[in-house]
Amino acid sequence: MPHAPTTFEHLMLPHIDAAYNLARWLLRDERDAEDAVQDAFLRAHRAFERFRGTDGRAWLLCIVRNVCYSQLRKNRRGPETESFIEEAHGAPDATAEKNAAFWNETKGELLRRALDTLSPEYREVLVLHELEGLAYRDIATVAEIPLGTVMSRLARARQKLQTAVFALAEKDVSNEL
Amino acid sequence: MNCDEARRLLDLDADGELDVVRHVELTEHIKTCAECAARAQAIQARKTALRTHLPRHRASPEFAAKLRASLGTSAATAAPPAAEKKPAFLAPIIYLRRASGLAALIAVSLFIGYNAGDRHGQGDRVIAEAIDSHVRSLEDGPLMEVISTDQHTVKPWFAGKLDFSPPVIDLANEGFPLIGGRRERLGGQSVAALVFHRHQHTINLYIWPSHTSASPTQESEKNGYHTEKWSANGFNFLAISDVGAGDLAQFAKAYRADH
Repeated sequence: MPHAPTTFEHLMLPHIDAAYNLARWLLRDERDAEDAVQDAFLRAHRAFERFRGTDGRAWLLCIVRNVCYSQLRKNRRGPETESFIEEAHGAPDATAEKNAAFWNETKGELLRRALDTLSPEYREVLVLHELEGLAYRDIATVAEIPLGTVMSRLARARQKLQTAVFALAEKDVSNEL
Repeated sequence: MNCDEARRLLDLDADGELDVVRHVELTEHIKTCAECAARAQAIQARKTALRTHLPRHRASPEFAAKLRASLGTSAATAAPPAAEKKPAFLAPIIYLRRASGLAALIAVSLFIGYNAGDRHGQGDRVIAEAIDSHVRSLEDGPLMEVISTDQHTVKPWFAGKLDFSPPVIDLANEGFPLIGGRRERLGGQSVAALVFHRHQHTINLYIWPSHTSASPTQESEKNGYHTEKWSANGFNFLAISDVGAGDLAQFAKAYRADH
């Protein structure tokens, strides 16, 4: 494979930002994200001869994801924040489902915090689809789940995000009072 | 289509994952149903909120450089694919020389085929170079030498820097705001590079003079980058980005329509 290193460069290096974005959202820390991306690229480089296909991005992101998850398992301390939100605040207000103004008025900072409260499985599908623009089938490759699971997870993630936005908005209001 | 079915499909449709038949049915239903129309609007509003408010984090240039160094990869580009293809073209000629009869006729068609293949190779090379240039512009810069969202600032900036005046238009109304431009080398010549944004993504549009008056838009996809190439009004256009193929096609269509 005389051209392997060059091909790796062409197939994988263009996706440094995509790799970093996913790692940054999963690990929520700049340095941790850089370490994970570095680790993932080294693994991808070593395993490159096993790569079959043309879309390096999904393959690389799958490795990034695995590295991040083992990092998360190592670091796991304290309960997930998400359970707190769900217990405290039940079902989301159904009106938001048909209310465009609700989303237009939601502040960016609140949205970021809300996304951070979701567990990584839900956070990642939103990041991959809404920010990276990955199609369902690519998300299936990255998260190593069937297509049907991508759809149901994305739907659930959106519900949870909406619940979290509501909960945080309410909390902000009560803090101001 | 009834409301229950429509509601199950709204997200899929907004995500661009619905098949054409059901997309048409859903669109028809939404026209006649205020409730579902409101839901569809809310879904779009949520998408817009996520895309505009949530940052797409980028690796710092220092980190990207460090990463490259640690992988021991150089900035050298791949050998042009045409060079590897040549032996494959020569092999049948050698074989046919031993055969006889139709050899001359076949040699002519081979010659034509070879030529066409070579031209194709040239196009591939320009696209490969454009991908390199696109990646370089994002990672090492400069992405822009002139930063402006005003086409009347960007266009004059090229005067005296290039021996042609590229058509510059802003497509902010179509969702592709112009953010600047720079000079670039592509296929051994100076070209204008215009920079547009689509959500958190960057689109580079390369423009240089063309000898053909007009040609249809050609799409291609390589290493996760989509390109759209066309000629019109004496210019070649090559748009490249990591946005989805649909978004880039829309961009190309809008640019073709407006200039």
